[in-house]
Formats: sequence, C-alpha cells, structure tokens
Amino acid sequence: MMAHPELRHPFDASSIHPEGGATVLYQGKTHTLQAAGSGQQLLIRPEDLMQINGFELKPEGACFGELCYPLPEGMLVEQDGAQWFDLAAFADHIGQPYVADLESRVWSFAEIPAKRESLLVDAMAPDFEVTDRQGNVISRADLKGKKALIVTWSSW
Amino acid sequence: MDVPVWQRIYEEINDPNFVLICVAEDTGGEAVAGPIFDAAAPTYVQVIDENHLISSLFNFVNVPSAVWIDEEGRIVRIDEGTYSKVHEIGDGEQKIVFGNDVYAPALKDWVANGAASQHVQPADVVSSNIRAHSDDEQRADAAFRLGNLFRLHGQAAKAEHYWAMAEALNPDSVNFFRQNLTLTEEGSAGATFRERIGEYMTEGKPWYRPLDIEAD
Repeated sequence: MMAHPELRHPFDASSIHPEGGATVLYQGKTHTLQAAGSGQQLLIRPEDLMQINGFELKPEGACFGELCYPLPEGMLVEQDGAQWFDLAAFADHIGQPYVADLESRVWSFAEIPAKRESLLVDAMAPDFEVTDRQGNVISRADLKGKKALIVTWSSW
Repeated sequence: MDVPVWQRIYEEINDPNFVLICVAEDTGGEAVAGPIFDAAAPTYVQVIDENHLISSLFNFVNVPSAVWIDEEGRIVRIDEGTYSKVHEIGDGEQKIVFGNDVYAPALKDWVANGAASQHVQPADVVSSNIRAHSDDEQRADAAFRLGNLFRLHGQAAKAEHYWAMAEALNPDSVNFFRQNLTLTEEGSAGATFRERIGEYMTEGKPWYRPLDIEAD
C-alpha cells in the first residue's frame, strides 16, 4: 500500500510564466510563450504554432503535413499592430478538447482528433513520443519492423 | 511487483526484434518509481510517465494495461488486466491473490509466431476493445496535466481543483482515482479504495477488462 502524502505538494510556489505570456500544455510538453496577445483568448504568434502542435499556416489554411483545415473568419486577430493566431478558437474549430486556467493563462490541450483517427478507425498505433529514464526519445517510428509490448504499472 | 518479472520474461524472449516498454504511471516521478525500476536492473525500455500520457494515448483507465503493436504498427491486442504472473500478498485469511499465469506465455507465443499466433486478435475484436474516449474524458486528461503543472509550481489549491475536475470528468479512470489516493495519508489501498472496489463488485463491474486468454 503506497502512501506518499509528502509528495502531494513538495514544491515551492512559483509563477508559471512571465507576465504577458501564456503557457500551453500539449502532448506532455510545456510551452512557455514569452509573447501572447492579451484578453481571454489564447493569441499566439503564428510562428509559434509549429513548435506547439506541428501545424503551420499556409494560404490553404492550418496544415499538419498533408492535412489542412481552411481557417474560418476570426482565427487571425490584429492586436497592438501584430497579427496573432487564436489557438483555442482553432481547437474549438477542429474539435480538440482543452481546459484553460485563464487567471494563470495556462491552456492544457488534449490530442487533436485527426491525429487519433488511425487508432479509432483501423487500430493502428497512434504517433507517440516518450523519453526513457536514460533520456532516449522513442517514437512509434522507432518500433517499425519490431514487435512491441507497451505495458503500464505504477507504484501504487 | 511486475517490474522484475517483466525483466525475466524479456530475457526469456531474448529477441532483438522485440521491444518491451515498461511505463510507470506515476506523478511521484523518479523519486517513487525510479528505485523500483533500479531494483530490477532492467534492460528493457523504462519510462516514468508523470502525466499518464500512455494511458491517455491508448485510452487505458487502470494499471496494469498493455498493448501489442506488430511490425507494421498495427495493434493486435489491447487493454486487458495484464499482470505478468500470479501474485500473492500476505498470509492466511489476509492473503490476497491476483494476476494470472496465462498472459506471459501468450506474449511469448506472439513474439515467436507473429500473425500466426492464436493470441493475435482480429481487427474487429481489437477495435471493439479500444475504449471510447469521450470529449469529457479527454478534457479530464487535460485537467489532470493542468493540475500537475500547478503542483510543480507549488500552487496547491489549483492543483487540487484540476485533479478533482479530472476525476469528475472521467469517473471510470481508476488511474486518476488511485493516483490521487497515493498522495493521501490513507494511501492507495485504504478505506476509500476498499469502498470503491466494493462498489465495483456490487455493480458486477470488472476492475480490469478480463483477459481473453485460455490456459493451454
């Protein structure tokens, strides 16, 4: 029986990101954006999109490889003389669930539905990336040509 | 307790084209899961998954759970209660027995025989065994990670708020429920845990999806 009440909140209080920025959680990574638009929306610099979720803006829309979503009105916002991309509105548009803490300006995103279609439609393992205890990054592509067992456990 | 057993099974299989990735779903991180891995001196891939990403990826709700992925990336078995052996804890009337002795032999058979193994499931069975993951359940994953971020930043009230949100949005997640209990005084196997197990028994609901493997 595992009980680690001392590990519940072992850390000292610290702010999550510099004032004026925003924090985005996606696929286990924490993206601290130094620059973000103000207000209740998650306005990011268009050039930050790629490092967050692999999408890039093209004339045909927001694209991930060959997959492109045409952008409806309102996704690109002018504010303070700069152009911003409304990432939360984009998530709403493509059906990607998320939870936001507006006070701390943190947005935590679940997976993009299109990236999970292979799992649900034809039982192909979805793309993933994990880092092992030695610091090696292992992705689905590394398993090609091999059989793999992925098994979970816990200390509890 | 499966961690060293998986090492033995991995050594017995001894196939360069077989990869075993053993994933600790543990917000306690290296401090809690690391020593358990180290004690087993594993040569398989060890991952400590503080945000439960692997469970989220394959829609698992409990540990242990597992997936078999073939050479082409196709899932050929998924989401069962996958203990590596039968475990016994305690003595006499207090003795608890759990686990199984059929999963490891089935795994070995698959690695040896590939698609010809009787334990490879047809695509329609695999698809039906992939648990649905509703928008609320995905939002639960996002809330859990948000709670973990606040925890890392020492913001206890918000951490608790988002963990509670995760449990409310995905009440079927034993992972969230027990992970939370782990960080309480009563721990992961105390009165609250026993009460929940009792509810499952009353409702006839399996704690794990039963293994669909017959003993040879």
